[in-house]
Amino acid sequence: MALALPDDVKVQIRLSTRHSDIALPEDPGALLVPTSLRRIALSSLVNNLLHNEKPIPFEFLVNGQFLRTSIEDFLTQNGISAEATLNVEYTRALIPPVHTTSF
Amino acid sequence: LTHLDGETTQISPENARALWLHHESSTHSLSQQLTESLRLILAPTLATKLRGDFRTGKRLNLKRIIPYIASEYKRDKIWLRRSMPSKRNYQVLIALDDSRSMRESGAESLALKTLTLVTRSLSMLEVGEVSVVGFGEDVNVAHEFDKPFTSESGVRVFEQFGFQASKTNVRGLVERSLELFKEARLRGATSAGEDLWQLMLVVSDGICDSHAEIQRLVRRAQEERVMIVFIIIDSTTPPQQPEGTRPASASAVKHEKTSILDLQSVEISPEGKVVRWKYMERFPFRYYLVVRDVRELPGVLAGALRQWFGEVAGSSG
Ligand SMILES: [Mg+2]
Repeated sequence: MALALPDDVKVQIRLSTRHSDIALPEDPGALLVPTSLRRIALSSLVNNLLHNEKPIPFEFLVNGQFLRTSIEDFLTQNGISAEATLNVEYTRALIPPVHTTSF
Repeated sequence: LTHLDGETTQISPENARALWLHHESSTHSLSQQLTESLRLILAPTLATKLRGDFRTGKRLNLKRIIPYIASEYKRDKIWLRRSMPSKRNYQVLIALDDSRSMRESGAESLALKTLTLVTRSLSMLEVGEVSVVGFGEDVNVAHEFDKPFTSESGVRVFEQFGFQASKTNVRGLVERSLELFKEARLRGATSAGEDLWQLMLVVSDGICDSHAEIQRLVRRAQEERVMIVFIIIDSTTPPQQPEGTRPASASAVKHEKTSILDLQSVEISPEGKVVRWKYMERFPFRYYLVVRDVRELPGVLAGALRQWFGEVAGSSG
């Protein structure tokens, strides 16, 4: 049934990182992804682009905020339209138990 | 909710007029070029088709032979003749993407130029009726089929665009357009011997969802003899930064806009399997053209229409 289909909304994202050791080998340009994606799926995407055999967990920042929900919820909560290209910054995920404050 | 009530920034009447006049004069020679190409393509060509049923003629209509004998040679209209070309009438619907991505990607100006060029050429040709709709989340009829498309209409149409819609509902557009074509078909009951051709030109940056649903509608359009040509505006000029927007993050680097031909689509399964493909490889419209410069338009549009007419003639003749 056509009506039972979920809304498959997509958004263009552009991935970047401040850390050269996890920078993408080639710039994939904008990527069109489903807005239903969450951190875990985006992490798989970055690992795929890095050709990593052993996946590294990543965290994502959009407009300086950590992505804790689906992209869709993030857009809604922040009043951002899926019509704009999102700049998504990624960084290695910190593993909570070993986290220490340095000052 | 992402509604921005009271914040609709349509093009103001003064700007609409200035913009229309500007595009009209800057695309003047291109319009003439397009008009000439379209005249050759859209006008009926030589009457090569044989039509029945006549008492004398060029060739026997074999389907009439058995009834002829069975009727004891009374039903004698058994001949085919080369007939005169029938007059063709066109209804052309131009659908312009009014969604925000058009502004974000810098496609806005080229899209308005394209709209000007196409509407000018079609009205110079005088081959039929022209309608313009805007689409984003919903469809807005900016110019109706039964009104002539003048320079003033162009200004009125421009006033109805703001490139602010927060969704790009192409599925809804095709659905609604098929309804509009159906209404227009019924209203403009053509006289016998006149062929009605319905053509839809979508002018958009090409980014849309629900591809499976769209494909189903494109097939329906084909069954209803509505031809759809998708004109993709592939702007490579960097998007303009609206005033008051701050950079997305401190590290945000100004990138060049990705061409739709290079854009990758991504699908990720719940198990984390990543599938990537070129967006255009699965584009749901069969006839599309990618335009980066308005000067390319007369040539590529004529090419797409020629191909379509070739296929229609090939399948029905
Ligand atoms: Mg859009």
